Amino acid sequence: MLSMNRRDFLRKSGASLAAGITSSLWFDLLADGSIPTNSTALFTDRFGVAPEDMKKILEIALSKGGEFAELFFEYRILNSVRMEEDIIKDSSENVSLGVGIRVLKGIQTGYGYTDDLSFEKMKQTALTAAAIAAGYSKPLVADLRETKLKTQVYDLHLPFSEINLSTKVNLIREAYDAAKSYDQRITKVQSSLVDEIQYVTIANSEGLLISDVRPQVRLTASATAEDKGVRNTGYGNAGGRVGLGFYQNKMTPAKIGKLAGDEAVTLLSAVDPWAGEQPVVLGSFQSGVMIHEAVGHPFEADGNRKKTSIFWDKMGKQVANSIVTIYDDPTIPNLRGSLNVDDEGTIPKKTMMIENGKLVGYLQDRLSAKLMVMEMNGHGRRQSYQNNPIPRMANTVLAPGDATPEDIIKSVKKGFYAETYQGGEVNDSGKFTFSVNKGFLIEDGQLTKPVKNATLIGTNVQILNEIEMIANDTQFFLGTCGKDGQSAAVTAGTPTLKLRRMTVGGRQ
Amino acid sequence: MNNDNLMKLAEDLVSFGRKMGANQMEVTVNEGNEFSVDVREQEVERLVQAGSKGLSFRLFVEGKMARSSSSDLSKETLEKLVVNAIDRAKLSSADPFSGLPEKESLNVDVEKLGIWDPAILELSPEKKITAAKETERICLSDKRVKKSFGASFGTYSGVTYLANSNGFSGSYRRTACSSGVYLQSGDEPNLFDEGWGDSSRLLANLESPEEIAKKAIHRVTRLIGARKVETQNVPVVFESPMTAGLLSFLYSCINGNNVYLKQSFLEGKLNEKVGNDLVTIIDDGLIPGAAGTKPFDGEGVPVRKTVVIEKGVLKNYLMDTYSARKLKMKSTGNSSGPNNFYLAAGTSTPEEIIKSVEKGLFLTGTIGFGMVPTTGDISRGAFGIWIEKGELAYPVAEITISGNLAQLLKNVELVGNDLKFKDSITGPTIKVTEMTVGGK
Repeated sequence: MLSMNRRDFLRKSGASLAAGITSSLWFDLLADGSIPTNSTALFTDRFGVAPEDMKKILEIALSKGGEFAELFFEYRILNSVRMEEDIIKDSSENVSLGVGIRVLKGIQTGYGYTDDLSFEKMKQTALTAAAIAAGYSKPLVADLRETKLKTQVYDLHLPFSEINLSTKVNLIREAYDAAKSYDQRITKVQSSLVDEIQYVTIANSEGLLISDVRPQVRLTASATAEDKGVRNTGYGNAGGRVGLGFYQNKMTPAKIGKLAGDEAVTLLSAVDPWAGEQPVVLGSFQSGVMIHEAVGHPFEADGNRKKTSIFWDKMGKQVANSIVTIYDDPTIPNLRGSLNVDDEGTIPKKTMMIENGKLVGYLQDRLSAKLMVMEMNGHGRRQSYQNNPIPRMANTVLAPGDATPEDIIKSVKKGFYAETYQGGEVNDSGKFTFSVNKGFLIEDGQLTKPVKNATLIGTNVQILNEIEMIANDTQFFLGTCGKDGQSAAVTAGTPTLKLRRMTVGGRQ
Repeated sequence: MNNDNLMKLAEDLVSFGRKMGANQMEVTVNEGNEFSVDVREQEVERLVQAGSKGLSFRLFVEGKMARSSSSDLSKETLEKLVVNAIDRAKLSSADPFSGLPEKESLNVDVEKLGIWDPAILELSPEKKITAAKETERICLSDKRVKKSFGASFGTYSGVTYLANSNGFSGSYRRTACSSGVYLQSGDEPNLFDEGWGDSSRLLANLESPEEIAKKAIHRVTRLIGARKVETQNVPVVFESPMTAGLLSFLYSCINGNNVYLKQSFLEGKLNEKVGNDLVTIIDDGLIPGAAGTKPFDGEGVPVRKTVVIEKGVLKNYLMDTYSARKLKMKSTGNSSGPNNFYLAAGTSTPEEIIKSVEKGLFLTGTIGFGMVPTTGDISRGAFGIWIEKGELAYPVAEITISGNLAQLLKNVELVGNDLKFKDSITGPTIKVTEMTVGGK
């Protein structure tokens, strides 16, 4: 019966092979140029896994005494196109298909996955995951009842999975040409477009059945400028859970190319920073990475449940200057970290972490919420069907204050202004570093010389208490966050802000 | 044993691609099995067990390339991906440097590479769980250890099959096992996270729970009481894992792709003196039992021993077929990255190296991303032990180190004799004349 479904579909898809390359999808576009938002039918029709089979697999997963079982079906197509040395050098289409099966018992997780969706193989995988609980019980699995999504936080109109290659090449070329022609000292440019569409269906032993179709795209340009033996590289990128319209209306490829060119050229005249402690202004352009790394991670529930986060015993306490409010909101539309539903089937909520300096909440997944006896808030995410979900950020925001960026810079006599970053890292004890790609010296209340080779270093406690002024010019930084070996698409937004003191590393 | 069906799948897909219009095609299939257990506070917290397969290919139509990959190995999906790729390739640009490598014969006995150990497959889940628990138990019995983030034990076995339209067809299998623990010490707000882990192709070479626990305890407790120091320029001693970190940055500077794109400060410096006489750096994919050992790279090019820097002179880059053609050189069998990339051992013991420092930093950890291949600039968060009068005096944290790789290669003063082939990038303890330590 299962294979009938599959063969039946394949016959249909075989007939459409000749239809060309505009789509590798298994759905047709809707009349308005968007795609269907429910993928349950995809797994049933295309891969032959009907809800009644899912229920049987869940029963097998619980057959050794587990308390909770869950299936995570994923079908993802990732496309990329890259331009380098004035030509389109490479394009790829990558298909990822599989199911992850999780069994929970107390604090324990059993996990297995397979890329073969035959009933027999899923059954074996379920038994492997089941083995975390060594016992026997008559499994109680509720009948699966499909929950339909009530909100839509992605722009599924003209998604990139449906855009033909020549249109993508035009966007890439526009960014490339803008970077190349920005200045005659630009010697090398790269530009690429990466898009994906991820179909997810989640079923669990409590009877939940929910699906989500998630688009994601990012257009990137990098440019290297060279002058008198000095070389520097600048970057520009933009994207999110958006369609083609984004690059026509919001952020044109030419702007992305110019950002890369401008950064590379500016760095040619850059100096090294003053090393040591000094006032530091974090510009709004990309400093969201600081909010994500230094502030966000210790509020993820797993570290607090395990008491490894410094905040595990500080709920309700003042942990920051009272002007500081920080939250994570996966429901902001169309951002890189936006989610209709998390990877455990929970509908996400805007979740306050710090309100007026006071610790008020953690980012929860199912396991931590249950063990901490707190409410889930839709922050259980995973890299793919090969990974168990863990608490993660999505769109993290430092709320705006009442200063202006000009007030902030004016207030610094001698200090450092951080504008773009190569990355940041924080360990569980709260120590972090950020590598600044481009910054500026602040002298007598003005940005003066561009700066390269700077590192910001400190601890999260220190930074939360050193935030002295917050402006109102919020911008979002696009990132890919790594935790426990899993990556996740995120954004973080912040206005320009001032830290009273922070250590800046550089050469003497 | 190797699965002939997957070899045939690869070969058949090459034929299909040729038939559909690809001038050249290469197919790789990977099959793997993983097991891992995480233990925290002596309870099994997570157990993962899975098998998976994946196929990837690239094809060329008149010098235009397209690639694809899939974990869905159904014939229908794979053939559709090939058809899509041929259509995409046609819309790409012709590139005279692209294409498969020339056929080279493999002169290696795969079974003698020492990268497959049946003992790893035979190890029972119970023994793996016991090893993780034991490692953590020893750590927790030390009162200075405040918390455990958990101990883990993992095993992996996998087979790679590669076939291309130039007539290459080959496969090899390998195993790996790993064990580690991560700990926290100190008192709020001065907490320190550190740990130790070991991995090996062969079970017998894996460090025991006792050895791992001992190293992890040492690493996390030696940081207790760390302070900042004044900003200053001092000699820096790199503990061997830190030398490996420096080498992985060097790899990005001698990797052919960054070189032809002029994104490396070592571009155009072949046969120039870029380091001092103590610096000899080699990539050797044929060291028996080492982490990066394999018979051929991701394009089916046999791996070999390549001297990259010999007594300070830049002799070669590490290249795949494409970047080699761009640079008018020959592939070094590095399309999958570094094989076993290392700084050749010197004669000093790590203790002698520390003794030689009047005042400086013994670097034991870094965080952050601040390394730029284009310029060689380095700027990272750091911690370690301060050296005074040749002795390890006190721990330091929340500092930064900065310098430039071009300078560092010339400023290597001493090279240790403690080289081990545990990771695919590795090096001994070294001392460099000067870096800037940023602190107070």
